[in-house]
Amino acid sequence: MKPSAFHYEKPSSLDGLLDVMGKHGEAARILAGGQSLVPMMNFRLATPEVLIDINGLSELDYIRQDGDSLSIGALTRHNVIYDSPLVAELSPLMAEAYKHVAHTTIRNRGTIGGNLSHADPSSELPAVCICLEGHMILRSKQGTREVPAGEFFLGALETAIQPGEFLAEIKIPVRKPGVGSAFEEVSPRRGDFATTAVAATLQIDGGICQTARIAHAAVADRPARIESAEAVLEGSALDKARINQAAEIAASETEPSLINYHGDADYKRDLLRALTKRALQRASENSVN
Amino acid sequence: MAKDTSFLEKSRQVEPPREAYKWIGKDMKRVEDPRLLAGKGIYLDDVQLPKMAHAAVLRSPHAHARILSVDTSKAKNLPGVILVMTGAEAAEVTGPTASFASPPCPQYCLAVERVRHVGEAVAAVVAQSRYLAEDAIDLIEVEYEELPVVVDPLEAIKSTGDAVLHPERGDSNVAIERTLRFGPVDEDFANADQVIERKLRWPRVGAVPLETCGAVASYDEGTGKFTIHANTSMYNYVGWLIAVSLNVPSHRVNIIPTLAGGSFGSKLFLHKVPTLAATLARASGRPVKFLEDRLDNLMNCDNHASDRVYNAKLAIKDGMMTGISFHVVDDYGAYLQFGYGTHGNALSQASGPYKLSSLEMNLVAVFTNKCQQGAYRGFGSEVMNFLVERLADAAIEELGDDPLEFRRRNFIKPEEFPYRIPTGNLYDSGDYPKVLDEAAELLDYPGWRKKQEAARKEGRYIGIGVATCQERSVFSATEFWFLNPDEAQGFTLTSSPEGVSVKIDPTGKAMVTLHAPFWGNSPETMATQILAEHLTMDPADIGISYSDTDSGLNGTGPGGSRYTVMIAGALTGAAGKIREKLLTVGGHMLEASVEDLELADGRVSVKGAPEHGKTIAEVALHAHYFRLSMPDDPLLTSGIDATHVYDHPLTTLPNGDRTDLGVFYPIMGHMCHMPVIEVDIETGKIEFLDYVAVHDCGTMVNPMTLKGHIRGGTASGIGTAMYEHFYYDEQGQLLNASFADYLIPTLHELPVDLRTGHVETLSPFTEFGIKGGGEGGRMGAPPALAAAVEDALRPFGVKIDELPLSPRRLRSLIRAAASSKV
Repeated sequence: MKPSAFHYEKPSSLDGLLDVMGKHGEAARILAGGQSLVPMMNFRLATPEVLIDINGLSELDYIRQDGDSLSIGALTRHNVIYDSPLVAELSPLMAEAYKHVAHTTIRNRGTIGGNLSHADPSSELPAVCICLEGHMILRSKQGTREVPAGEFFLGALETAIQPGEFLAEIKIPVRKPGVGSAFEEVSPRRGDFATTAVAATLQIDGGICQTARIAHAAVADRPARIESAEAVLEGSALDKARINQAAEIAASETEPSLINYHGDADYKRDLLRALTKRALQRASENSVN
Repeated sequence: MAKDTSFLEKSRQVEPPREAYKWIGKDMKRVEDPRLLAGKGIYLDDVQLPKMAHAAVLRSPHAHARILSVDTSKAKNLPGVILVMTGAEAAEVTGPTASFASPPCPQYCLAVERVRHVGEAVAAVVAQSRYLAEDAIDLIEVEYEELPVVVDPLEAIKSTGDAVLHPERGDSNVAIERTLRFGPVDEDFANADQVIERKLRWPRVGAVPLETCGAVASYDEGTGKFTIHANTSMYNYVGWLIAVSLNVPSHRVNIIPTLAGGSFGSKLFLHKVPTLAATLARASGRPVKFLEDRLDNLMNCDNHASDRVYNAKLAIKDGMMTGISFHVVDDYGAYLQFGYGTHGNALSQASGPYKLSSLEMNLVAVFTNKCQQGAYRGFGSEVMNFLVERLADAAIEELGDDPLEFRRRNFIKPEEFPYRIPTGNLYDSGDYPKVLDEAAELLDYPGWRKKQEAARKEGRYIGIGVATCQERSVFSATEFWFLNPDEAQGFTLTSSPEGVSVKIDPTGKAMVTLHAPFWGNSPETMATQILAEHLTMDPADIGISYSDTDSGLNGTGPGGSRYTVMIAGALTGAAGKIREKLLTVGGHMLEASVEDLELADGRVSVKGAPEHGKTIAEVALHAHYFRLSMPDDPLLTSGIDATHVYDHPLTTLPNGDRTDLGVFYPIMGHMCHMPVIEVDIETGKIEFLDYVAVHDCGTMVNPMTLKGHIRGGTASGIGTAMYEHFYYDEQGQLLNASFADYLIPTLHELPVDLRTGHVETLSPFTEFGIKGGGEGGRMGAPPALAAAVEDALRPFGVKIDELPLSPRRLRSLIRAAASSKV
């Protein structure tokens, strides 16, 4: 469990980063927190010829409010986000999801950009970004482009990032008044990747659900919204029966394909039902202005 | 079967239990801890020798295949590579690794001609660094011819032809089939009011210690001698077998133990890794370090544990358990290093704490394409506890009985000890009702029953488990071979001794040499407290070290919860000799006769006149340097030192037809575990609400370290019951060969406060009445948790017959129960 030999580059500026990326092309991998990449290298599941260490690029390490958006630099450590009062205020769903993300030593090094670029289908943050309809800001020599979270995750460990591009920033819409949210997860042990997780937001006005967003993780090769369940909620009064109906739809109309020892399809359906119900219940309870 | 006091006369107990102790029974801080907690302990990976090179191994990707060819040319040409060795090349100089199986089941440190499980070592590289060695491994090209893969133990019974792993043992993957009957089995089942039947499945798990197995070996061409540093145990018992593998006389191998970073049984005579490292050192001319990485350890560590399928029956007459009959298939994996010892072990306490009159076992041991079994905390007896308690719980359910009352009624009574069980083993002592009562009180059992009832009305599913289990301690050697077939009895050894060396230096400090290693328990603390008690010394004046094989006395080492009892026996013998010398020399100094002297508070003094005395330091100085001041008595050699080898306190031989296995595991501990859990029926997740464990392991030497054993052992048991499972797919691939997927419970998964209690019933056979307690928690937690979950899910009628109790499994049981009710 030792990595194969690699070259090491440590750019000191974003322009420098783009230069070394251009020089090495697809032979290079970006090293951020290293919490997924380094184990993969030790198992020799990843054998990059070049590692580009971006840990010196402090300009990618920030959390700030830009109008209606919460902007988080890709190199921001998980624990910084987890502990951020600004995130707790502007994106309670993300703050809550972080309770399920790994262990503190991993969160001390791991970064949000590394996590999202890695695109593990059992990870929490991709589902959060999809549920909140966030955007990924990708940079390259050609400039900057914004990709909606829903179009960013293409499969297990597969994203819309093109050669020459890197994920620079995550933009999340700030929670609107009256929007409630909840994140529910079952994992084998605390801090493990999810067996199944469900994120939900509900905007309720006068007892009627205006907008519902539900996303799952660890069910398929990528996180996704459960739109058929959202549809039965929107425009309806949110009573227990309606929530149960949405949960039932989430369970029956989702085809679990990410099957492993910890969760077969039947069990993942059970979890989709239970977790969707619980997430919606709590989201409706905390949707006060 | 019956009370049997005849053995009491044979007791070799020298030190009966005392009313009061100065050091025994105290919560003394571990003397091991300062260096271990400060990160200053020397583990295998800390060993550095001049010119040392590093090894890595190539592992088989196939579960079962012939090795057609191995091309090492590219690997050899990689700069920094010193040696590349294939299995065939290694076999030219090094024979099969040590094995206790009979008939033999040869295994080599690198596979020869055939690989029998995924991860088996095929070739090794020695290089300037481990990195380079792994680079070279990737360059070795092996051509395999795949063979049929056997994964399911029940299918293995039917294997023939190419699916047979060891054709030289016959055209079958059945390693042994053996039926043993004890007592009136037919009568008990014929007369039964009820016969309870259960099919049970115990999962393959392992010890998975933090530190993997490793060795640093060097070969001195001048002397022809190997020096092997290793984190193994039993080196002073059977370490010479490594020399046999290396084809050198045993005095040409010196094994030096390093601290083991956890073992839990898994490093019990670790032999393959040191044999490989020594083979590579001899061939490369360089000292070689080989330390398994996590993949090596999970796939090829030889410490996977029992993997059993049971069909079991329990006979009940007038509400009393009378007989147990079981058929068991055990999946031993690809080899058989310890023979059928785990089933021998289980027969030591096969009737649990209950008064059974008969017992029948039909054992079918099979080979499959998996890592072979080794030792892990319980060594097979933890599975027997699960079986007995599951049967008891099934009977309680069937009879509509109470879990506490049923057990109390069926217990062997305190006045019936020593008690022989049907297999022939003796239970030395016990007070099972007292342990049960103490647990029930500590838990507030009636209170939790009320809370359970109230919660159920709110739709919550709380369960309370009760398990009353044995913890046999102090293994003897017969369990390793008495199940061997009649025509291949093998080496029928009967010794399992433990030695110690003690010297008092000229300044009065004591130096103790242990002849077994540190492997995570507290041998130094135990030896310090016991010797301090014997010699009335300050523990701070006692130092402990570990011998190598060159200097070592007999030492079987830790295993089977034996070390504290055995080292107490050895120290009692050695301390008796030291005391005698102190009194003799002191007598000359004080001009008093030995009969008038006593050793108390660190002084030799005249009885009744403590002011007339000399300190141990004064006596020691005299003994070391003033020979001519004493008479010309041959007993008065300079210095004060003693060695003592203590043999097992009570073993008898099995009889010829094995209807009586003899006394082989008589120092009988006991425990009652009572977990309270809640099942989230929608997700299948289990939450602990409370957990009480009351243990009886005789006189406690150190209650604090014992509590650690109970808590740690219970954590292991929770792992087995709820989380862990080496899962092989149909192709024999180990799908969870990393700690991301092989789930060891962390602090978050354990009860917030695991509350412990102790009862002390003293052994009449051991020094001070001590019993072993090292494996304890793991032997009680699995049946207790199975019972608790079954109790929680009683409204669904769910039966717990298989572990681990993963949320997926619980949901599947609840789903099936709910749909069958519709």
